[in-house]
Amino acid sequence: MATFLSIHGYTPGPTQRPLLAGSISGIAATVPALPILYGFGALRVESSILHLSLWETLIAGWVVMAIAGAIYARLFGRAANNIHGGWVFGMGFGFVLWAAGADMILPLISGGEAPAGPAALGVALSMLVWGTAVGVLIPFVQKPLHEKLQTASKSSSVGPNAAASQNHPNSGKRGA
Amino acid sequence: MIRVVDFRKAIIAGVASAAAMEVVLRGFAFAGVPLLDLAREMGLAAVSHGHIVGVFAGFAAHAFVGVMWALFYAYFLWSRLKLPPPLQGLVFAVIPAVIALFIFYPQLTLMQRDEDEVHVRIAMLIGTIGVREVAGIVLSQAVYGLVLGSLYRKPVGYPVGDRPRIPRRKVQPKRRDGKRPTGCGFMFSTGIECSYPTIEHGHWRRDELDSCRHYEWWPEDFELAREIGVTHLRYGPPLHLVFEGPGKYDWSLIDQPMADLERYGPEPIVDLCHFGLPDWLGNFQNEDMVKALPEYAGAFAERYPWVRFYTPVNEMYVCARKSTLDGQWNEQERSQKAFVNAVFNLAGASVGMTDAILKRRQDAIFVNSESSEFSQPCCPDPEVQRIAELVNEQRFLALDLIYAHNMSDGMRGYLRENGVTDEMLSHFSHREVPRRSILGLDYYEWNEHLIDRHGNALSLGELFGWYTIAMQYYRRYQMTMMHTETNRSDASKASQWLWRQWHNIQLAQKNGVPIVGFTWYSLTDQIDWSIGMAEPLGIVFPVGLFDLNRDPREVGLSYRHLIDMYRDEPDFRECQALKELMH
Repeated sequence: MATFLSIHGYTPGPTQRPLLAGSISGIAATVPALPILYGFGALRVESSILHLSLWETLIAGWVVMAIAGAIYARLFGRAANNIHGGWVFGMGFGFVLWAAGADMILPLISGGEAPAGPAALGVALSMLVWGTAVGVLIPFVQKPLHEKLQTASKSSSVGPNAAASQNHPNSGKRGA
Repeated sequence: MIRVVDFRKAIIAGVASAAAMEVVLRGFAFAGVPLLDLAREMGLAAVSHGHIVGVFAGFAAHAFVGVMWALFYAYFLWSRLKLPPPLQGLVFAVIPAVIALFIFYPQLTLMQRDEDEVHVRIAMLIGTIGVREVAGIVLSQAVYGLVLGSLYRKPVGYPVGDRPRIPRRKVQPKRRDGKRPTGCGFMFSTGIECSYPTIEHGHWRRDELDSCRHYEWWPEDFELAREIGVTHLRYGPPLHLVFEGPGKYDWSLIDQPMADLERYGPEPIVDLCHFGLPDWLGNFQNEDMVKALPEYAGAFAERYPWVRFYTPVNEMYVCARKSTLDGQWNEQERSQKAFVNAVFNLAGASVGMTDAILKRRQDAIFVNSESSEFSQPCCPDPEVQRIAELVNEQRFLALDLIYAHNMSDGMRGYLRENGVTDEMLSHFSHREVPRRSILGLDYYEWNEHLIDRHGNALSLGELFGWYTIAMQYYRRYQMTMMHTETNRSDASKASQWLWRQWHNIQLAQKNGVPIVGFTWYSLTDQIDWSIGMAEPLGIVFPVGLFDLNRDPREVGLSYRHLIDMYRDEPDFRECQALKELMH
């Protein structure tokens, strides 16, 4: 899979910092998602299912969303930086998180308890909004985090040695 | 970026497909066979039973979900399967069907409950799925997939006769202080991919400037070229949009970009005809092009008198071969006679354009860019040997004409067989080739071919390399040369390829070949070159110094490294061969 992505040019560029950009976006994207969770009563239901206080639920949510954002940015690579399509990929990722979370993870860690009624609707909507927001944010968040072309181009990994096949048994010092 | 997606088409297809689903389900309900209707169920989850707001909310949510799935189809599945488009859509519909059946619908039933919290068991969720549910979802998703596949096609290009939709720019990026003086230094170059052939027998226009969003992003593109440090930029204004008819030009599309290049650089090598003709000229079988294109070249040189470097016609051999032997572009013929006719028209236009430019600017420099190719016979079979020999002569034909080079008896016989008269040949052979001409040689990993036992050309990869092939051209024409295009389709090996091409340049220089420049082509990724632009699929070809988000690729860093390393070395700061041409 990694080789396929690399050949087709999807892997993040050498100047990019996808994990950092994804984490920042993952946390920032909770801002529009939180009012939905709160409004539908989903936050209260989730904290009750997880046996945590509201604040503990929020903090745990931020940590999980930061990790989820980083995973999204790394997984989608250069596609995550696409201004036009990023929101679609983000919403899709949010949908997958909801499907996995609501159907499997939450019932598993809570011994089978899951939100229902408006709270369940709130969880679904908030995840879609979170995913969309991550997808929208990453193209803008990642740009200022780039290493500059001027400094990144000085790396020896992109210099003349790139022409050679690495680790050949006949490699070694010549002359002198 | 994964694919170029036409959002407008995907949205229309998504809404139409969702509506078609609904019509079919309503039809069944009307016939007394009510099946599961997800639009209705979504409405019920949002608003209480029977409320009209709930019905509309359900429809709206369903249309939205339809659009989202259509966008996913457009990005991830469209054109990946070798099936007719409606069947591609049908196969894709398996994904939303499975998700709807096993995830979405069971969750919807939870959302419709009057409690906040439930104790779920797998049996409880699966228990919601019966025959009515399975039949409703399978049937409706099949309708969705078939309609979606039928409607979403051709995400890139536009019908011949139309013009691309170009978004208005809102913000101008920051600019450097001014043009970096280029003088007689070695030409470190890149290019903006600009091919515009027609396909589908002249009905569909490919336009790489549009597909790669250069019309929208040109200020960024020029700035990125400056950031990489290139001194020259191969730049092809869209002939098919600018040259509207005899004496009729629409310069509005390129006045601003040209002014930007004049003021800030890099120095453009203007590419006047790149694999296509304006709609009114049709294709390369039309000999009117031989008079029309010089008129355009003259008008161009008058409007932008500061431009000094020109490529009158790009890769004449490739253009003729793809249009007349491979049957992929423009006239889409498959005959030797059409090939010869196209080559003569292209070469005639090139000569006429050169003369027209020289009338306006006597010190113009012509970079005659051509694909450097070589074909190796697989075996001693005389027929295979004959084909390889013919192909190896054909690669020189257009250059032989514009450089007034003698042809072999075999080639003369071939030309006569295909309708060429001595008079037509003498028109070229008595030509005085401009002193300021550069033979530009492009090289890709597919430029060396093996002619197999059936006469088919198979790709050999990099067998002999640019140096060996270029030397064949150098020995024939004894011209100042430039490496005018290269890239690598495997993005992970692009840096390696760049440096290896560079070592080819160095070896040629060391052996006394006058080489004035090197080009990584192109600045950004391209679209559909993995299939020779034969179909409008929107597949990203990741060969750029930057991707289509304008984020640098590794090879972009390598090229900047290379330019920084060599730009100020004595042999490159002042390139003797270029100095001789410039003065």
